[in-house]
Amino acid sequence: MFQYYFLLGVRSLRRNPVLTALMVLILAVGVAASVSTLTILHVMSGDPIPHKSERLIVPQVDNGPLKGYTPGEREGDEMSYRDAVNLLASGQGDRRTAIRGASGTVEPARKDLPVFTVEGLTPTRDFFAMFEVPFVYGGPWSEADDKSGADVVVLSTKLAERLFGNANPVGQRVRMFGFDYAVTGVYGNWNPVPRYHRIVGGSGAFGEGDEFYIPFHNAVRHEMGQNGNMNCSSDRGPGYQALLDSECIWIQFWFELHSASDRPQLQAWLDAYASEQRKLGRLQRNAPNKLYTVMEWLEEQKVVGKDSRLSAMLAFGFLLLCLVNTIGLLLAKFSVRAPEVGVRRALGASRKEIFTQFLIESAVVGLAGGILGLVLALGALALIGTISEQIAVTTHMDWMMLLVTFVMSVSAAILAGLLPTWRACQVTPAMQLKSQ
Amino acid sequence: MEIKPIFSALMRSKTGPILVAVQVALSLAILSNALHIVSVRQEVAARPTGIANEEQVFSLDVKVLNPGGHEEQLAAQKAQAAALRALPGITSVASTNQITLSRSGNYSSVAASREQERSNASPSMYVTADSLIKTWGLRVIDGRDFTPQDVLEIDQKTSKDFPRVALITKATGQKVWPDAPSFVGKKMFYGTGPEAREVTVVGVIETLQTPSGAMGVDGELTTMVPARLTGMSRALYTLRAEPGQRDRAMKDAEQAIRKLHNGQVVVHSKTQSEQRVDRYKADNALCWMLITVSVLLMMVTASGIVGMASLWVTQRRKQIGVRRALGARKIDILRYFVTENLMITTTGIVGGLLGALALNQLLVSKLELARLPAEYMLVGAAASWALGIAAVYGPAWRAASISPAMATRSA
Repeated sequence: MFQYYFLLGVRSLRRNPVLTALMVLILAVGVAASVSTLTILHVMSGDPIPHKSERLIVPQVDNGPLKGYTPGEREGDEMSYRDAVNLLASGQGDRRTAIRGASGTVEPARKDLPVFTVEGLTPTRDFFAMFEVPFVYGGPWSEADDKSGADVVVLSTKLAERLFGNANPVGQRVRMFGFDYAVTGVYGNWNPVPRYHRIVGGSGAFGEGDEFYIPFHNAVRHEMGQNGNMNCSSDRGPGYQALLDSECIWIQFWFELHSASDRPQLQAWLDAYASEQRKLGRLQRNAPNKLYTVMEWLEEQKVVGKDSRLSAMLAFGFLLLCLVNTIGLLLAKFSVRAPEVGVRRALGASRKEIFTQFLIESAVVGLAGGILGLVLALGALALIGTISEQIAVTTHMDWMMLLVTFVMSVSAAILAGLLPTWRACQVTPAMQLKSQ
Repeated sequence: MEIKPIFSALMRSKTGPILVAVQVALSLAILSNALHIVSVRQEVAARPTGIANEEQVFSLDVKVLNPGGHEEQLAAQKAQAAALRALPGITSVASTNQITLSRSGNYSSVAASREQERSNASPSMYVTADSLIKTWGLRVIDGRDFTPQDVLEIDQKTSKDFPRVALITKATGQKVWPDAPSFVGKKMFYGTGPEAREVTVVGVIETLQTPSGAMGVDGELTTMVPARLTGMSRALYTLRAEPGQRDRAMKDAEQAIRKLHNGQVVVHSKTQSEQRVDRYKADNALCWMLITVSVLLMMVTASGIVGMASLWVTQRRKQIGVRRALGARKIDILRYFVTENLMITTTGIVGGLLGALALNQLLVSKLELARLPAEYMLVGAAASWALGIAAVYGPAWRAASISPAMATRSA
């Protein structure tokens, strides 16, 4: 019976073409507006590394000055060099990495290429395993190179192609920052959305991918300046050593735990570390030391912008309006069918049969609206994507949102069809038959 | 008046009118809030930076490959500035550490005294070895601009020197010394405590926005100090071109710097207009999204009114024929439908105004937006009325055109 009613519904799409087209269009526009804004929210608030996000931890210690401190306020989202080095040496967790930004010039060996600037990160070796960076050629630098801060580099595919064409560049040398770096690997297409590994300090949660990675200790050895945020609460002396010794915060730290249940141990270790540092005269604020998992960190950093939430809220208001509109149109469409209902009821169809038939007919309208809505939503997302590269990375629809589109459209149509269908069921067969 | 019969006719079949009224209410609630958000964003984007004739200004970011030591960097910077000044079509050149609205810059807290526990404000600090006042056409409302004697040459790698004088914006002055009539000659401190750097305020700028261009007064908290810095990875210049010459001057400037360093340099230029567009990109995108939704909203509501009114006209063909046959003029029929519609939309508008307040309350509490002023609700209400009348006019006219002969026909 379902199949038959479904076919009837499809056929009745053609019955009042103008009215039906209007209905489908309005439903489609409402669904498209909601789905496109929802897609952006969905991508922004998604878990970038689901199987591991509970085990990747951002630690925070507050090293701000005690003077003028009101409990509750926080110094910043990053870490001083001193704390970063201590935490790297701590042996806590399975893996640890400290990340900061670096930018500089590249002098290509090919004479036809001009000098250009690149931006990248300076992590430690664990970074690649922690964040599961895929490699096209080669791999991370060695443990020894990591410790000694050797001149080694991992390039992005784009930068590698720019410098070496399609050849495997592992073992080749690149002149960067005025030094000769040996290429140990080329990483593949990897730029997580959001860029959870470096939300703070760089180009933000939806910025461009990193062009290269060099060892953390290498950047320090060459006295490279920070590319990104640096927050200094007190004055520091001149020179690079003064920066390293200072309480300026500019380094993003990550732990990888063996299992999510190791978190209390890490918390205990961090508290012990902080009180030990307090004995040395540091961390005088005695603020709570914090740990964040990936999702807690995204929440803390307010990765989902207010504007995105505003858009989604208004889009749903609009969908509600489209729904009310569709109720009216369905009422109009079903009301002229009273004689038909009268005949069917007289021939023995129960109210329930009529109810099912008309509700399925509404659902067919919803399905048509869903298909058109999907097309419109894809168009809207493409349009929104042209605004900027940051937004473009969030405008990709996945299977889940595809499903949501149809569920939303069909359930909106069924919801809208309830009242008109109920009305149609109230038709008294005798009245209709008499007037004919 | 015929309000009473129309009203009792409406009460006989309530569903249709209620649906139309709900649509009007929903669209009014969303429309007035959307319009308000759009105008708030537009106001923010329209704020002056303080820079005169922005379309003539551009910046040049210069990164020399092997910059050398302090003396070599100083010489290079002076040579760069001289090369830029020598170009035709360029009226003014100044070195700077940051660009207004570029969203990346230096912020340094200031205080009225060393002994204070907390600083008074965290303004952005511009550093220039020339005159940003001249290049950007800023208005100095009190005191003076820097002189070449004020400019200190500081090697950031070894020296703790700091300039002795500073310019501040009026907004900064009011924040640091809330009750002072004039700020010129006052001592100001970067930071607090014994390490704080003391400067004397020599002039007050009417306004100059920060690199972030934050909302409200924070966007105008800026200070300026005279220095030529070395030990940084780049040198930054801002230039003003003669009217209409900017794009050509930009190319010439890049070329001149490349030539000066024999290609051992990376140069980037960007116009101030581009900085503005980039800074307000997200705001503009949101505005367009809201405007699109508003237009769609009006169209959907209008189509709802047209659809319902058409249905009623069809259902009442016979009655209309009878009324016409009994002597009602066309205008009477037209008036009937328009009045009926006005009653429905007015009900919707009352609901919509309440809805607008409720939605605004939600936005204020959840997203910290501004309160909705009454005029947006009034504009929205007027728009809803106009939309209602315009939408019902077509069906009403068709109703009025029904021939009195309809009364004689069956069904």
